[in-house]
Amino acid sequence: MSDDNQVNITINDQPVTVPKGTLLVDAAKEVGVEIPVFCYHEKLGPFGCCRMCLVEVEKMPKLTTACTQTVMPDMVVRTESPKVVKAQQGVLEFTLLNHPLDCPVCDKGGECPLQDNTFKFGSGTTRMEFDRADNDKVTPLSPVITIDRERCIACQRCTRYSDIIEQEQALVMLNRGFKNEVHTFCDEPYATRYSGNVIDICPVGALTNTEFRFKARSWNLDNAETLCAHCGCNCNMTLGSRTNKLMRIQTRPNDLVDDGWICDKARFGYDFIESEDRLLEAGTVVGGARKKVNALDAAVQVADSLSKIVDEYGPESVGFLGSAYGTNEELYLYQKLFRSVLGTNNLDHKTYQDTPGLPIDHYDFLNVETANLVLLIGSDPAEELPILDLRIKKAVTRRGVKLAILNDQKTALDKFAELSSTYNVGADGAALSALANGLAEGGAGDESVTGISAEQMKSLVELIRSGKKVCVVYNPASLTGNSIHMLKHLLSVIGKIPDIECGAIPAAPSTNAVGAMDMGILPDFSPGGTPADKGLSAMEMIDKAESGELKALLMYRSNPVVDFPGGKRVEAALKNLNLLVVHDMMETETSQLAHIILPSNGPGYDEGTTTNIGGRVQYRRRGLNTKNLPDWKIVSKMINSLSEEPVEYITSFNVTEEISEKVPGYGEINKKSIRKEGKTREPVTSVNGSVPQVEKVNSADQGLKLRVATRLFTRDKILSTSSPLAHHFLPSTVNVHADDAAKLGFSEGDEAVLSANGAEVRAKVEISNRCNPGAVIVPMVADDQGVQGLAGGGSVSWVEVKKG
Amino acid sequence: MKILFKNIDMPGLTSLSVYEGQGGYQSFKKAFAQKPEEIVEIVKASGLRGRGGAGFPAGLKWSFLAKDVFPRYLVCNADESEPGTCKDRELLEKNPHLLIEGMILTSYACQVGTAYIYYRGEFQHAADLMDKAIEEAYAKGYLGKNIMGSGMDLDLYTHLGAGAYICGEESALLNSLEGRRGEPRLKPPFPAVEGLYAKPTVVNNVETLSAVPWIISEGAEKYAAIGTEKSKGTKLVSVSGHVKKPGNYEIVLGMSTRELIYDLAGGIRDDNKLKAFIPGGSSTPMLPADKVDVGYDYESIQAAGSMLGSGALIVMDHTVNVVEATLRLSYFYMHESCGKCTPCREGTRWMWQILGKLQAGIGTNGHVDKLLDICDNMSFKCFCPLGDAAVGPVASSIKNFRSDYEELVKKLQGGAVSV
Ligand SMILES: Cc1cc2nc3c(=O)[nH]c(=O)nc-3n(C[C@H](O)[C@H](O)[C@H](O)COP(=O)(O)O)c2cc1C
Ligand code: SF4
Ligand code: SF4
Ligand code: SF4
Ligand code: FES
Repeated sequence: MSDDNQVNITINDQPVTVPKGTLLVDAAKEVGVEIPVFCYHEKLGPFGCCRMCLVEVEKMPKLTTACTQTVMPDMVVRTESPKVVKAQQGVLEFTLLNHPLDCPVCDKGGECPLQDNTFKFGSGTTRMEFDRADNDKVTPLSPVITIDRERCIACQRCTRYSDIIEQEQALVMLNRGFKNEVHTFCDEPYATRYSGNVIDICPVGALTNTEFRFKARSWNLDNAETLCAHCGCNCNMTLGSRTNKLMRIQTRPNDLVDDGWICDKARFGYDFIESEDRLLEAGTVVGGARKKVNALDAAVQVADSLSKIVDEYGPESVGFLGSAYGTNEELYLYQKLFRSVLGTNNLDHKTYQDTPGLPIDHYDFLNVETANLVLLIGSDPAEELPILDLRIKKAVTRRGVKLAILNDQKTALDKFAELSSTYNVGADGAALSALANGLAEGGAGDESVTGISAEQMKSLVELIRSGKKVCVVYNPASLTGNSIHMLKHLLSVIGKIPDIECGAIPAAPSTNAVGAMDMGILPDFSPGGTPADKGLSAMEMIDKAESGELKALLMYRSNPVVDFPGGKRVEAALKNLNLLVVHDMMETETSQLAHIILPSNGPGYDEGTTTNIGGRVQYRRRGLNTKNLPDWKIVSKMINSLSEEPVEYITSFNVTEEISEKVPGYGEINKKSIRKEGKTREPVTSVNGSVPQVEKVNSADQGLKLRVATRLFTRDKILSTSSPLAHHFLPSTVNVHADDAAKLGFSEGDEAVLSANGAEVRAKVEISNRCNPGAVIVPMVADDQGVQGLAGGGSVSWVEVKKG
Repeated sequence: MKILFKNIDMPGLTSLSVYEGQGGYQSFKKAFAQKPEEIVEIVKASGLRGRGGAGFPAGLKWSFLAKDVFPRYLVCNADESEPGTCKDRELLEKNPHLLIEGMILTSYACQVGTAYIYYRGEFQHAADLMDKAIEEAYAKGYLGKNIMGSGMDLDLYTHLGAGAYICGEESALLNSLEGRRGEPRLKPPFPAVEGLYAKPTVVNNVETLSAVPWIISEGAEKYAAIGTEKSKGTKLVSVSGHVKKPGNYEIVLGMSTRELIYDLAGGIRDDNKLKAFIPGGSSTPMLPADKVDVGYDYESIQAAGSMLGSGALIVMDHTVNVVEATLRLSYFYMHESCGKCTPCREGTRWMWQILGKLQAGIGTNGHVDKLLDICDNMSFKCFCPLGDAAVGPVASSIKNFRSDYEELVKKLQGGAVSV
């Protein structure tokens, strides 16, 4: 940085040089001077309402607030002069004037800025002789947040959070002066997807976690610095427990990942770890009844049985269905078991097509902010990757980044977009191809196929061309058929635009989707994106199980009966297997069919690394103790029982070491390198295929195309009916375009029956132009909604929609 | 010398024809023949200062507008909520076209295409009258597209607030106008750089803008020749309290306060003795009777220890207990504190609580000292000037009339009141 971007000032006689635009409060930290604050929060920016940070600046007639004043050349600042001390004591006296004497019972006690500032900067006495304000002490703002209005010091951090960070203005200040209060409009619940962060940033114990209130003193908690395992963001969080019971989950800011926030699913969505539906014991099913067995014995039994089947029917008769929820270590070992030990390439972890590697840079989260244009393809971050949603809103509202959206459905981010184009459901391949052609040689594709007008396509092409730095964020799970190849082709076309810097974030919703691909849980690639002879994909394995060619399947943290397209057909196929092993942490529809059950520890109890959508590898630490064996020990037992040269791992990091040795891209990943902020793995190689053909969408004589949309708060194995987030659950709904609603004679709120493949789903009609005509969108709201039963799998599914 | 109140009581003046009949809307020809910047220079040279309270030179403020950033907005501050002040109301209700003319000229000078008049919530009647006047002005081509062939477009809207004193503060006003919570904004950026909808904005008081047509028609020199060296022109003063003829008076700045009270306002009621006066509205420190010869202009009043403010002279005779008056004023500030910053939100209430005790005769000298210390802890430490305004009456009443407090304290010590 050149010198004219630096400013020299002195603070309490200590010289300090900081970049232009730095606030005094931050400059002071550089020389170890603490200026007390309440309302200031670096993510929210200057506000200046609490007046706690007053300092004296030479040549300024009045004291000034260090949180709003930027450094000016040669400023002379004093933070300990008699004038400042008097002001600090005065402000603290005002702040405490009507604050209750709750410290002994307050959740914030021990980690309370009001306590700390009073201790360090207060006068130690009060001159208040009147009754303190008498405000409501227990007002639920939502089922998960309770406000104690007496403790509120009106710093407006929470309301500014809702305005600036969430861009919702859901939490607001109502009323005036002494009577002001933090509230919502019209008494609506404060129920955004990221509401809980206000609990952490509240500088007093006013905003409390309804679940945690009065449960434990903060200093008695055991805090584990761990990661959230709910989505591909892998936000950093602290899991606080007491006597091995989960107490609360808080943010653990990592600017490279979460920017200091977690979503409510992280904060309030972990009660599954103490759920009654957990699988805690290994078991074998004999004569229809499950018999408890020792986990290691079960592991050996699984290994033996698989190996026998391989001996008898060949390696192509067994398969592994993993999941993007396992850690790299667990997935790597399973990959080793199946590929190296059992000799099969039948591995997969998903029902859509995807390939590892990118033809352009793999961008991480920070690039969303430093790009000039974010191009969002098929992605709905609010529902799929909530903290990415916040990052994109930040980029657009505070970093001047433009947002362009290409999707088959309208999403919450549309209102932030410069341009938002909706392609027809199932026409993703055609739309991506049209865009790639438009960028390469002009042309706009066929509107009757893509649903996007020539004009829109032209504007999109222009926007990308003038982007300078483009960050493409795409959700492979939303693409149909082989469109992922078209997408990768589009990425290389963008990469070839002269004078453009670009990269992409493969934004699959699941926690470790990138890691699962890197670890080779794919039919056609071994770890690190190395091409392998093609084995069976997940859907092919179901087909072959149905036909009887596949004899054995091991499911790791996967519940195809509910989550795979096909519904009943999947169930029947699995029942056809000679051997079904389910290794999971929860009892599921699939585990009910298993011959052998292995318990999986899962988030909270497990440990290992995961790779987020930005390619960042981080360590997920154990938060609670368990008597059960770690998953990697179970898998390693299977490997060792079949190998000539057994490898013993003492800790999960020994597996990480092997990954680092064996998996291209992971060479630099080790316990030390990922400790603080994690580390991005080197991009894995991308195989440049030929330009794919756009798949023709078969048309049905009747019916509408079906798009199943992801929802953050789905009633499933993770969020049960007793979840504190149950208020977010929605009834089964179908979004019908107004044109189609008119044709079908639907009115808003009608009951509809959707049918396909012999399955039926009932849903309330919502007439919204969320997608183009000719299709419906059904958000997946619950496991028992059964919506995947309607889907065919692979390419586009058709449903018949009738009045119910 | 009447500029603003010339013909103010002429029947039918609110109609465009009568207004034009007495010479209204004649300034355009002269104005449009000059470049906008030249108009700014004229207003600068006239010495016209803001009449909303701070007395900031109007032309200078206009010249601070962010260069080449458009659109720009003009907002007329018709919130008039400073206790004691009622001069804007008279202008608005009796001569709306004068303000419209002033706003057109100002918009021309500042290259503004959209202007708003922000009224306090209670000014429904004035806003209705203005809407009629605006309609007439549109019909006549004074508003709308290409005004009088000048190439200038201007739309003018009225907007009513919801009744908060703080919304008279310009940045809180802009928040309110945008539909946000009426709370002052952080400055800088000042409205001239980022105001309404984050665009360059001029905010001026009704009286300020209403003075512009005369300055354009008669010339800057003529205006600058009126008043004192630094306080130019005429000022509307709302005289209230214990005078025989309360009301709005247009004076040449610099007139002695004694003349204002005893000649224009007819002297003290029942020929009582003058005890105290608040020269510029409730936010300005109160002065004792011996300061009554102070010249009524910005500099002289400041030298005497107070401020001219919005020009609301509140007169108190010898029957007044200053503590009681201060208690009432402190109630107002507690009620009107927006609550954004801690010292004002908490301090205004605390002061009111203590004053209540003193007024009830159950306070001590310690309370009076405590009040002074609270004043010190608030002064210049609040987010916006309302906090300082709340300190004004308390600190000045103790400074100038501590004996009134002590009398009440003695009641307790003398056993007249039992606690
Ligand atoms: C608490 C507070 C209340 C105010 N109320 C008013 C008001 O009612 N009317 C007004 O014109 N200015 C009021 N002001 C002053 C405005 O902020 C602003 O300075 C003024 O409108 C500028 O116009 P002028 O330069 O023409 O005076 C108030 C200021 C403060 C701090
Ligand atoms: S918020 Fe802090 S100061 Fe207030 S009661 Fe709780 S711990 Fe004590
Ligand atoms: S609830 Fe907490 S964060 Fe919100 S204004 Fe009150 S003290 Fe600040
Ligand atoms: S001083 Fe503070 S609380 Fe008082 S009105 Fe101004 S901003 Fe609001
Ligand atoms: S921290 Fe500076 S005013 Fe609140």
